[in-house]
Amino acid sequence: MSAPATEAVSPLEAPSGSPLHRIAWHWRHNPKRELWLAWWTIVAFYQLFFLVFFVLTRTQPPPSPGWDVARVVQWFHHNHYGLLIGFGIMFLITGMTAPSNALIAYSMRRMSVSPAFAYSYLVLYSLSAIPGMLLMCIALTVGAMRPDRDPELISWLYDFAFLSFVGTMGVFLIGSLVWMLAILLDRNRVLPKWFGYLNLCNALTEIVVSPAWIFKTGVFAWNGLIAWWIDMVVFGLYTGVFIFLLRRMIQREGFGTGPLPDLAPTKETDPSALAETAQ
Amino acid sequence: MKRTDGELILFWTLPAVAIIWIAAFFLFPGFVHPMSPSMSAEQVAAFYRDPHNLSRIRYSMILFNWFCVGLIPILTLIVMQIRRMAHRTPIFSYCMLGIMAAGPTLFLVANLFWLLAAFRPERNPNLTQMFSDLAWVSFGSGVPFLIAQSVILALAIYLDRQSRPVFRPWVAHFNLVVAAALAPAAFTGLALGGPMAWDGALPFWVRNVAIALWIVVMGIVLGQAIYRQRAEDRQRVGDRVPA
Repeated sequence: MSAPATEAVSPLEAPSGSPLHRIAWHWRHNPKRELWLAWWTIVAFYQLFFLVFFVLTRTQPPPSPGWDVARVVQWFHHNHYGLLIGFGIMFLITGMTAPSNALIAYSMRRMSVSPAFAYSYLVLYSLSAIPGMLLMCIALTVGAMRPDRDPELISWLYDFAFLSFVGTMGVFLIGSLVWMLAILLDRNRVLPKWFGYLNLCNALTEIVVSPAWIFKTGVFAWNGLIAWWIDMVVFGLYTGVFIFLLRRMIQREGFGTGPLPDLAPTKETDPSALAETAQ
Repeated sequence: MKRTDGELILFWTLPAVAIIWIAAFFLFPGFVHPMSPSMSAEQVAAFYRDPHNLSRIRYSMILFNWFCVGLIPILTLIVMQIRRMAHRTPIFSYCMLGIMAAGPTLFLVANLFWLLAAFRPERNPNLTQMFSDLAWVSFGSGVPFLIAQSVILALAIYLDRQSRPVFRPWVAHFNLVVAAALAPAAFTGLALGGPMAWDGALPFWVRNVAIALWIVVMGIVLGQAIYRQRAEDRQRVGDRVPA
C-alpha cells in the first residue's frame, strides 16, 4: 500500500459527486475495498435471487407436491419463459455466492478462534450451491425446454428439482453451526453473541424441513406452513441480519489484531481517516 | 538451501491434463459434431445405441470423470499467486478456493448423466433423451463458476497495486473478455436451434474456445509468475548470504 501516502496531503474525503465518481474514488483509495466489494456482491446477489425465484420463475413460494401429473405439466407450460430466462440468470450469476462465503469466512478469520472454522465454513458453503440450487435450475430448465416430453418424466423432473432445493440440508445445517460456534467462542467481539443463537435458528430450519421428503400435503410438505413458510421467514430474517452485521463489521475493521474496535462515529465512517492511520 | 516445494511439479501436470482433455473431447462423438437439441427421442436413443458411438461415449466420459478435476492443482497455483498480490485481506484467495471446487463438480454432474444415458441404451428412448438433456444442460449452462473465476481473478489483478504486479493488467482485461464470451451459454435452455442452442455458435464454439484459450494463456502467465517468483527468491537468498 504505497498509493495513499500522497493522498494524505490532500484532504482525503470521499467526493460528493455522481455515484460513479464516488465508486471510482472508493475503488482507488478505500483501504477496505476488498471487503466492500464482497459485501455489495452479497446485496446484489440476494436481490437477483429474490427476483429470479419469487418473480420470474415463480418457484418460490413453491407449487404443490400434491399435484397430479397433468397439473404439473400445466405449471411448466404456464411458466415456460419465466423458468428458462430466470434460471439463465442464475447460471450467469451463481458464482456471486463465492464473495459472500469468502466474507463470512473472513469474519471468522478475524475472530480469536482457530482458522479451522473459517476453512470449514468456506468448504461447506462452496459445495452447497450445486445440490442446494443449481440442480434445481438444471432440472427445471430441462423440464421446461421440451413441453412435449412424456408427462411422467416432466413430473419426475419437478420432484427432483424441488426436493433437491429444499431437501439439501446438511451443508447449511453444519455450516450454520460452525459459524455459531465460532461467534460464541470469539473474544474479538466481531459479531454479537445473539447472532450466534440466530445461527442456531437457521440450523434448526434445516431439521424442520426434512419431513418434506415424506409428506406430499399438509404443513410438512415442501410448500407447507412449517417446511416452507416458517423456514423462509427465518432464512429471510437471518440473511437480512447477517448482511447488516457484516456491514457493521467492515465499518469497525481497523486491520489490527485483537478485539474489533467499536464504531467511533467521527473517524470510522470516514474511510479517509483509515487510509491515513493505515500507513 | 533451496528445498523442492513441488509447485513446479504441479505446474507441469498442466500439459498432460490438457492433452487428455483434448483427446477426450475429440473421442466423445457428441462433441465433434455437437448433438442438436432438436433431435427426437428416437434419434437420441439411436445415437447412444450405435455400437460405434457407445464405446466412444463411455471411454471419453470415463476419461473426463478421472481428469475433469485435473485442473484443480493448477487453479490452486493461481490461488498461491493471488496470495502474493498486494491485497489487505484474503478475500480473493478464499473466493478462488470456493469457485475452483464447485466448477469441476458441475461438470461431474453432466458427466454422470452422459454415462447414465450410455449405461442401458436399450432403455425407453424418452428416458435416454432426458438423461442426455440433463447432461447437455448441466454442461452447456454450467458456466457460473467459470465466469466468476475470471471476474474474481480480474478484480484481484486490478487491485494488486505494487511496482511489479504478479500478473500484468492485460491478464485482467483478458479474463473479463473470457467471462463475456462465456456469458451467453447461461441462456442456452431458451433455444432448441440456432446460434443460442447448446450446439450453436455461442454456447458451444465460442464458449469452448474461450475455455481452451483461458487454459493456454493462464498456463503461460502462471508459469512465468512461478519461475519469476523463484528467481526473486534465489536472488533474495543470494543478497542475504554476503551480508
